[in-house]
Amino acid sequence: MSSYELKVGKKAKPIQKVAKIAVLAVVGFVLQMFEFPIPIFPSFLQLDFSDLPAIIGSFAMGPVAGIIIQLVKNLLHLVFKSQTAGVGELANFITGASYVLFAGIVYQFNKTKKGAIIAMIGGSLFMTLVVSLCDYYFLFPMFAKALNFPLDAIVGMASALNPYVVDMKTAIIYSVVPFNLLKGVIISLITFAVYKRVSSILH
Amino acid sequence: MIKDITIGQFIPGNSLIHRLDPRTKIISSIIYIIILFLAESFWEYLFLGLFTLSMIIISQVPLKFVLKGIKPLLLIIIFTLVLHAFLNTGTVIWEWGPFALTYEGIRLGLIMAFRLILLVVATSLLTLTTSPIALTDGIERLLSPFRRFGVPAHELAMMMTIALRFIPTLLEETEKIMKAQMARGADFESGNLIQRGKNMIPLLVPLFINAFRRADELAMAMEARCYRGGDNRTRMKQLKITSLDYFGYLTIAIVAAIVFII
Repeated sequence: MSSYELKVGKKAKPIQKVAKIAVLAVVGFVLQMFEFPIPIFPSFLQLDFSDLPAIIGSFAMGPVAGIIIQLVKNLLHLVFKSQTAGVGELANFITGASYVLFAGIVYQFNKTKKGAIIAMIGGSLFMTLVVSLCDYYFLFPMFAKALNFPLDAIVGMASALNPYVVDMKTAIIYSVVPFNLLKGVIISLITFAVYKRVSSILH
Repeated sequence: MIKDITIGQFIPGNSLIHRLDPRTKIISSIIYIIILFLAESFWEYLFLGLFTLSMIIISQVPLKFVLKGIKPLLLIIIFTLVLHAFLNTGTVIWEWGPFALTYEGIRLGLIMAFRLILLVVATSLLTLTTSPIALTDGIERLLSPFRRFGVPAHELAMMMTIALRFIPTLLEETEKIMKAQMARGADFESGNLIQRGKNMIPLLVPLFINAFRRADELAMAMEARCYRGGDNRTRMKQLKITSLDYFGYLTIAIVAAIVFII
């Protein structure tokens, strides 16, 4: 443990930051393998804790570090385990980076317990907003175009299952929004439980 | 849980594809993906399919490994096929209630399924024939022109290299911690969502602490060896563009030209 005591009071050197970001990205990559389905949602919407290292990193080293952790994590996933030619990684990066960006900036200005709670609630909401807009204007149309899917037909099928779904907007409101809010809440709760126990060693 | 995770897809070899510069392979793959999305007719896909098949044969990668990449996508491919077959209008072949199987639908479905398969095969061929380290080197060199706009190309590549080196270590560490905590009665595989999340904490805390300690030791070791960023760094393996790479670019250009002509 002596190495940590020696460092007290000194500013972290760039290489320490590089090493920490790299290792946190690996932890994210490892945690991404433990994904599990959520009961009521379709099976391709799976929950995992791979955003956790990025959030912890952005609390400890700033939002930019958090975004880089997400980037490296997804690059690793792209190189090792990609099954979707990069589309899944892009979506994961957008989701994770938006949460980390918001939460990191808020916590930067208010490093208290209250600040952390506001950061995480705001992060979850911001993430849901960004993902919904991205899906609506960018990912869904791109996906539909790539596979030549008639989006209206899919929405029609969804509306047979859930009468409230009438167009793409409502389809997103009834699937993407609740999933991401739930994901945000669960990840925030776990970050809250883990962060204080590990932060002393990270600074 | 961790045992069935195979890390890395790279299959070492000395084929023409293996010997291409990683930059050539990355750029060619991107161009090839764009070609795949621009192609529309049956003949174009027949040609692209034959081209992909010949690339697999030249790369000497066993077909088994290439096909393994398609397996996780099988469901989406079948879904695409069925959806197209039933949702298009045209000559009806078979009818059942509101569903009508049309000739045009089957044709379009097959083309889209083929597009998906070729997409996956092309990207997995890249990772099958290029080692992660070479890929990282390639990405660094491709990003380096953007350094003047503030893109930290070298730092990103260094992070990727460190990450690649630590993946096996941390995987092993995760398994060890899991076993240790399971011996103490931890349960990672049952319970509802909240319980499962809570159960992860005894795994997460030691994993993070362990990871930070390794990062710290590594940073100190690098400092002790006078690492000071990307400037003037020398390499053991230099990337070099050879005549083989020009030949690679020429091939992909010819493929693009043929698809445009058809």
